[in-house]
Amino acid sequence: MKHRMTRCLALSFLITAASTQARADNETIAVFTKNQTNPFFQTVRVGADNMAKALNAKILHYIPTKPDSIPEQLSQIEDVVVKKPSAIVFTPVDYKAMVPGVEKINDAKIPVVNITDRSAGGKFVSFVGADDYSLGLETGRFLLKALGGKGNVVIIEGVKGSLTNVDRVRGFNDALKETPGVKLLASQPGNYQRLQALQVMENLMQSNSQIDGVLAANDAMAIGAIEALDGANRKALVIGINGTKEAVDAIKSGKLLASGDYNGFAQGCLGAMMAIRTLRGQPVISEIVLKPTVITSENYQPFDISLEQRTCPTFEDASKLGAK
Amino acid sequence: MTDLIKETLSPPRSILSQNASQAFYRLLAALLICAALTLLSDSFLSLGNILNVLRQASLTFFIASGLTLVVLTAGLDLSVGANVALSACLAGTVIHQTGSPALGILTGLVVGGVVGFLNGFMVTALRIPSFIATYGMLWVLNGVTYWYMAGETVHGFPAGFRQIGSGYFLGLPVPVYLLLIFLAIGSLFAQRTIWGQEIYAIGANPVAARLSGIPVTRRLLLVYTVSGTMAGIASIIFLARLNSAEADIGESLTLPAIAAVLIGGASLFGGIGTVFGTFIGASILTLVLNGMNLLSISANWQPLVTGIIVIVAVWLDMKTRRSAQ
Repeated sequence: MKHRMTRCLALSFLITAASTQARADNETIAVFTKNQTNPFFQTVRVGADNMAKALNAKILHYIPTKPDSIPEQLSQIEDVVVKKPSAIVFTPVDYKAMVPGVEKINDAKIPVVNITDRSAGGKFVSFVGADDYSLGLETGRFLLKALGGKGNVVIIEGVKGSLTNVDRVRGFNDALKETPGVKLLASQPGNYQRLQALQVMENLMQSNSQIDGVLAANDAMAIGAIEALDGANRKALVIGINGTKEAVDAIKSGKLLASGDYNGFAQGCLGAMMAIRTLRGQPVISEIVLKPTVITSENYQPFDISLEQRTCPTFEDASKLGAK
Repeated sequence: MTDLIKETLSPPRSILSQNASQAFYRLLAALLICAALTLLSDSFLSLGNILNVLRQASLTFFIASGLTLVVLTAGLDLSVGANVALSACLAGTVIHQTGSPALGILTGLVVGGVVGFLNGFMVTALRIPSFIATYGMLWVLNGVTYWYMAGETVHGFPAGFRQIGSGYFLGLPVPVYLLLIFLAIGSLFAQRTIWGQEIYAIGANPVAARLSGIPVTRRLLLVYTVSGTMAGIASIIFLARLNSAEADIGESLTLPAIAAVLIGGASLFGGIGTVFGTFIGASILTLVLNGMNLLSISANWQPLVTGIIVIVAVWLDMKTRRSAQ
């Protein structure tokens, strides 16, 4: 909300901003994210911005105007290869299709850090990401434990065939295998969309009189399922994944049981940090897979502050956070 | 010459009855799907589930009903989904900042209507083909919404406002009342008013319509504005039902709305179709999803099943109609 109000003043501050940036060190980091619509990538971008500010470097964001567009990200890469930023922090919109793009960056000898989705090919100085499988597993376990190891649950899946969804749902299913007392009633697609998850939940409530738990592959779907439950005056424990602001609010008010933190902020911070450290000849960590954090009513406080005010982890933290 | 125009314009009678029988056959297709689902699932045929399907169909119907008028004039509005997204995000922000649901609703309707009017302006005054004009508008709206929301979500609205989307009145969900009201208004407007008949005439033969003195430009401005306003109404239902909105909600709404209009029997060449048919089209799409969820069909097969049922439903309809003639 505050962000959007600030936006109205953005134009008037453009000139001031330009002069501030000119004072930064000469390093320019190009940050590639998948889209402008998913709140997750906003947290990645703010993380990168915060880190760059702390280290006195400049960030340029490259975001496809059509969400997750392969041709658009490819042309942005071509653009960036000509402009030659000092380094690149890169999330492929598609982990396979963007490999030729990564090779172009490699050919141009621009150091590049891979974040979020692991690219299927190309050379990177470092990888920073979270593990969708263990996020699904840990968040799923948390729900099943809260249910006391018994009851009926449903899974609401994300976009079929997307890498994140496959791993998260596999994590959910493995958590279920460990808990034989819990019965999986249905596993249906909500395509990561709030409205579709709401409708799926409404439909599943028609065919199942008792649903005790809902495992949703992202927060928007989890909240959609909660709205459906509320509308039908029914209760169930619901978990989501991503740790969005909306989910933290819902955890705080007791509507959502938990959300697995995908740690976009830390991914943005550490991606930018590794890129800048490479340029300054400092040691980097070649692979950081962040350990899953399950945000619950017990530990939500650090997530309840605005992104801009959060502080990036230090290099020492990074090694503890999940370096391999 | 005058005779010729009269002759071209007289079809409304036969178009009317043709449209009525067409809607009847589409209704049969929908009932056939219902019968199949009743056999396959114990939970399908219950009052609760029928109301559930109607409530789900309402959102698609609101968008698609306005779109039907545009399609009747041989036009298309590709910006409806993006319009819902922008209207919902702006309406949601207004409710948050002023605390007034009334102002929020007004914002949604006005934004939707203005976007529709601009589409109409591009199609009439600038003579840009509707497909291109509204496709361009889709990008403009997406651009504005993405920039405005910056990846954030606007959520949490007053309980009273939320009744519009999730409340009940005398045992029926509120969106179902709205659906019935707009179905009645839309059908009466298209079938029983001069303006409605003029819209059919414009789609059937724009030259003849112009020559016979129908104010084509004004009617076209009207249908695009109505289409935009209906997107605005859909945005309010969306907000009240989901209790939140984000920039990318529109993308998954446009194609189903267009599909609902066409499954409902409207022709992209204009002049053929009914608002009731569109309601059936929206219901068929919703029934398919409802059925797949009730039967717990694997996510792997759902897109395939949806595609096949839509094609088979329309094919059966065409076939029965042909053999009936």
